[in-house]
Amino acid sequence: MDERTRQATRLWTLAQPVVSVFVVSAVRDFAARDDVLQETAIAVMESFDRYDPQRPFVAWAMGIAQNQVRLYLRRIQRDRLVFDDDVLLQLAVAFEETSPEQSQSLGFLRGCLDQLEGRARELCELRYGHDLKPAAIAESLRMTANTVAKALQRIRDQLRACIERKAAVEGGAP
Amino acid sequence: MTSNPSELLSRYFDDLLSEDEHHDLQVWLRSSTDHAWEFARFALLHDRLRGEQLAISLLQPTLADQPRALPVALGRPRRSMVISVGVVMALVAVLMVLLEIGKTPVAAATELKRLIAAQQTELDRTYRIAVEDVPAPQRKRQPVVDGNRPPKPTLDGAILHVRKGNQFVLIRPMAGGRQFVTGSNGRTSWAVRPDGPVRVSTDLTRFNRDLPGHEHEFPLIQIERGLAHLQDAYDIQLLPIENSDDTAAEVSTTRLLVAVKKPGHRGPQRVEITYAVRTGQIRQLRFIEMPYGPEHLTVRLTQEEERPLGPAFFDHQSHHGLDRVVEEE
Repeated sequence: MDERTRQATRLWTLAQPVVSVFVVSAVRDFAARDDVLQETAIAVMESFDRYDPQRPFVAWAMGIAQNQVRLYLRRIQRDRLVFDDDVLLQLAVAFEETSPEQSQSLGFLRGCLDQLEGRARELCELRYGHDLKPAAIAESLRMTANTVAKALQRIRDQLRACIERKAAVEGGAP
Repeated sequence: MTSNPSELLSRYFDDLLSEDEHHDLQVWLRSSTDHAWEFARFALLHDRLRGEQLAISLLQPTLADQPRALPVALGRPRRSMVISVGVVMALVAVLMVLLEIGKTPVAAATELKRLIAAQQTELDRTYRIAVEDVPAPQRKRQPVVDGNRPPKPTLDGAILHVRKGNQFVLIRPMAGGRQFVTGSNGRTSWAVRPDGPVRVSTDLTRFNRDLPGHEHEFPLIQIERGLAHLQDAYDIQLLPIENSDDTAAEVSTTRLLVAVKKPGHRGPQRVEITYAVRTGQIRQLRFIEMPYGPEHLTVRLTQEEERPLGPAFFDHQSHHGLDRVVEEE
């Protein structure tokens, strides 16, 4: 591996988690996220010669990710319920500025997930382990989609509260 | 209409927002950078939940293993394992790209399938052929000397017309503005030299050997077959589009798909396909180091037209005068 590729790899490895979150927040589908993220990684590597090292790499990679997200949304012809470009840009900036402490405190998530029991645990596995949307979960659990959506919201609120509590007690990161 | 931002965010990530709610969410996001940060924090949790839950699924029995009546999508065994493996594969694929080792990402494979589907048309296609360079033969071979046979006309500048059912007409330019035309109407193949008899054969492969690719799974008269061959024998990569923001230009926006031959397979070393993003219609095919007899050519096919050429166009009679002698072989 040459020095250029090594450098690009280093920078992309650091940027990839936040770019991944940005992508999934725009496409709202984990499988699509994986595809768009791959395309972004390829584009980043192929355009790396044009990267100005004076600029933050995350911001540059985020710009490429924005283009890939737009292309994806166009390709699937999803023109409804898609963020406007200015909102997309605003979100990209917010992700770039996300504090490392914020990401580090998510290290407590596993412990908080372990505390979930019964139906909450089941819902979480179906939503995130199986990538099912509330309507599909409702079908399998004989619930209404609205009930599932409300339950998921409560679970996420609980998890956030749990993470914040642990971060406050044990420090910023596990 | 939902007005609670927390509920809006939750419903957004579960893909449940109505159009009005989506509008509300955009207004809320625009109103303060703090709101964008709040969105980012929610997204971080959402994304991390996915990662953690996948990790848990790998280590513990999944719901799909239990005898619950799950939706069809879950009915497949150990779906979470498949997804997990998919995520790992995605990461491996990124790493492979970084290491410049060819792999075919899912998006590229999907796009190739779209191109193959776009080839399914009743219209006839016309390509202009260009031979970019002719490297020295890899195998030294003495040219066959045949006193009765004129020198082989060049492919450079040739026109290739193609129709479904292995029908084609290849028009190669010769000195003095003359042409050497070969073709097939799917029932017979034929060759019309500038002089001498017109030769016709019921062996459909008799006169298609002047087109490179037919013996290496990439017959130029059956582009879709060649594309299908790419799926298995080549590593495929999609290059990004960078000029797609202009709506007016979007119609003509093209993208490049690059296929690099895997070891142990036959055919050109590399195939570059330029296609229209919107329609999947191929604009240009470029074959690098394509075997052609003892040579390896770089051949470029640029699509010039796509239209019906008429019922008799692929018959030899359409390409010579009535006074020509026809010999059947």
